[in-house]
Amino acid sequence: MRRVPVPILAYFAVMAALPLFMGASGLFYDAFQAIFVFSLVGLGLNVVTGFTGLLNLGMAAFMAIGAYTFAILTSDIYPFQIGFWWGILATVAIGAVAGFLLGAPTLGLSGDYLAIVTMGFGEITLDVLKNLDAVTKGTQGINPLPRPTFGSWSLDLQEERGWYWLLLGFVLLAVLAVRRLERSRSGRAWLSIREDALASQCMGIPPKLTKMIAFATGSALAALGGALFAALLSSTGEPASYDFQVSILALCIVIVGGMGSVAGTLVGAVVMVGMNSLVLVKLADWAGAAGVGNASNVLASPNNWKYLIFGLALILVVRLKPDGLLPPRLEGSAS
Amino acid sequence: MSLLEVRGITMRFGGLTAVDDVSFNVDQGQIFAVIGPNGAGKTTLFNAITGVYEPTEGSVRFRGSPVRLEPDARLGLRAAMVAILAGLSAFLAINIQELWSVGIAANYVLNQPFPWGKAAGDALDAARAVPFAWGVLPAILGAGVGAGTVVALWQRSRRTPDLIARAGLARTFQNIRLFTDLSLVENVLVGMDSRMRSGFWTNLLRLPSFSRERTWTEREALELLEFVGLSERAHEAAGSLPYGHRRRLEIARALASKPAVLLLDEPAAGMNPSEVVDLMELIRRVRDRGVTVILIEHHMKLVMGISDRIVVLQYGKLIGQGTPAEIRADRRCVEAYLGTEGEG
Repeated sequence: MRRVPVPILAYFAVMAALPLFMGASGLFYDAFQAIFVFSLVGLGLNVVTGFTGLLNLGMAAFMAIGAYTFAILTSDIYPFQIGFWWGILATVAIGAVAGFLLGAPTLGLSGDYLAIVTMGFGEITLDVLKNLDAVTKGTQGINPLPRPTFGSWSLDLQEERGWYWLLLGFVLLAVLAVRRLERSRSGRAWLSIREDALASQCMGIPPKLTKMIAFATGSALAALGGALFAALLSSTGEPASYDFQVSILALCIVIVGGMGSVAGTLVGAVVMVGMNSLVLVKLADWAGAAGVGNASNVLASPNNWKYLIFGLALILVVRLKPDGLLPPRLEGSAS
Repeated sequence: MSLLEVRGITMRFGGLTAVDDVSFNVDQGQIFAVIGPNGAGKTTLFNAITGVYEPTEGSVRFRGSPVRLEPDARLGLRAAMVAILAGLSAFLAINIQELWSVGIAANYVLNQPFPWGKAAGDALDAARAVPFAWGVLPAILGAGVGAGTVVALWQRSRRTPDLIARAGLARTFQNIRLFTDLSLVENVLVGMDSRMRSGFWTNLLRLPSFSRERTWTEREALELLEFVGLSERAHEAAGSLPYGHRRRLEIARALASKPAVLLLDEPAAGMNPSEVVDLMELIRRVRDRGVTVILIEHHMKLVMGISDRIVVLQYGKLIGQGTPAEIRADRRCVEAYLGTEGEG
C-alpha cells in the first residue's frame, strides 16, 4: 500500500528542468535559491510544528547558528578551514545538538509557553551574535566563505545554475529524510503527540525524548538552510538577517503549504518566498520604469508590501483553506 | 501474589478527596470491574494507577514491584554531564571573547599554518588568569543549577504514564482519545511502539532491520484490527469511524503493546444493546488471550455478566467487593448503586 508521492515527484521534475528554459543568470535564480533555502527551513519547522505540534517561533535562530557555525569552521579568516562539505556536515550536527540542548529544559513546557521560549531564544541568539564580535565579527558578518568543491572542480559564485541544482539536491535529500522519518516509528510517535499528547504517553511513548528528537531534526534542517544561505552569499550577512521576521516567514510557509505536509511545505516556500523575491521585485522594477513608484515613500514601494502580503496570505489560507494548499494525506488512502 | 496490588490509594485535589484509601488486588486472568455512581472517583483511580496522576498517598504494585524509576548510575551520569556542560557554558558565556582573542585571533595569520599547541596554551593561561568571581564562581553556580535541574526533573517523572504502559498496563479512555488524523493501522502501530526497536538512524537510513520490523508490525496491526472487527477500514482515518467502532479501535490500540493488564474506562458508554453484547464478547476474547481486564462500567448487564470480581466505590471510598453474586447480595452496595427496592 505504498502510495507514489505524485506532487513531490512532479515538483522535483519541474524544478530540475526549469533552469534549462531560463538562461544562465538573472532574477529567477536569486528567487529560487532563496526558495530552496527556505524550503529546508520550512521542512525543519514542518517536523517540529507540522508533525509534532510544537509551535516554534525561533527557527531563524537555528538558521543563524547554522550560518555562523559554517562560517567559523570554513572561512579563511579563522584557522579551522575544514572545507565546504565537512563544514556542512558539522553544521547539521551542531544544529541538531543546539536544538536538543534548547529542547532539554524547555520541552516540558506546553503550547504557548514553548512558543514564548523559542521566540526569546531567537532574540537572545541575535544579541549574542551582535555582541560577541571577537568571534562573530559583530554586525559585519563573517566572509569570505569557501565554494563547494567536487574533486578538483569548484562551484563559482557566478554559476547560478550550479548553485540552483546544488540547493535543489539538498532539498531533495531533506525531503527524502523527512518522508522516511514520517513513515516510520519515529514519525508516528511525533504525529501521535500532536494528535493527543496524553493518549500518546499512555501508549508508552516517552514525550520529552520524542519531542527533543523532533526539535533536533528540525533545527538540523534549519541550520543546513542557514549554512547554504551563507555559502550562497559567501557571507553570513549581518545578524539581523536572521531576525524574527525570518521565523515568521518559515511559519507562514508551513501554514500556507499545509501543516504536516511535506509537499505542502515545498509549495508554501514557492508561494511565500516567490512572492517576496520574484513578484514584488518585478513589481518594483515595473513601478520604477513606469515612474509610479517612489522609493522614498514607504507605502509606494512594492518591496515594502511583503508584510502586508504575508499577513493577507495567512488570513486567506486560514479562512478559506485551513489545512493549507496541499494538506497531508493518509498513507495508503484512496482519496 | 496478585498481578496488581492497589494499596491505600488516596487522591486529593486541594480540599477534595476524590479517592480515599482504596485497596484491592487483581489476580491474573480476571475480569475485574470497578463500579460506583458518577463522581465516585473511578476514573481518578484509573488515572492514579496508570500514572496520569501521582497518588497523594498509597502505592500501586505490579507483579510485586512499584513501577517507578529508582536512582541509578545513569541518573548520576546524566547529572554529572549536565553539570559539566552547564558549568563550562557559564564560564564560556562570560570569557569566550577574551579566550578567543588571546588563543585564536592573536595566533592566526592569514594563510600561515596555525600553531595549535601555542594557541591552546595561551587560551589555557588566559583561562587561569580569569578572576574567581568571573571564572570559577559562575562555573560552580552553573554546574549546581544544571545538576539540580536534572535531579528535580527526574523526581517529577519517576512514575509517568509511558513507564507504566511499557511495564505492561494499557488503557482506554472514557472520552475516547484516538489519533484521529492517523489511519486505523497507524493508530495500532503507535500502540505497538513499546515493542519496536528501530531507532532514529535505522528509520532514516532504512537499514535492513527497518523493513523486517515494518513487515511484522504491520501484519500484527492488521491481525489486531481483524480481532476487533475493523480490518476492512484499516487505511481510513480514525476520525471517520462511527462512535461504536472507535471504542473497538481504542481496544485494539491498547492491546498492541501486548499488555498484561488492560484498563477499560466505560467501554460500553453510548452503545446500543446489540453493540453491548458484541462488546461483552470482545472483552471475553481479550481475557482469553491471557490479558487481565479491569473495567469501569455503568452498564450493569455487562458488569454482572462478565466480571469475576467487582469493587464498589462511593464518594471515593471502597464500600464493598466480591463476586457479582456477593455484590448483588450486599445491601450497602445495592443501595449505593443499583438502587433501592422499588426504584426499578
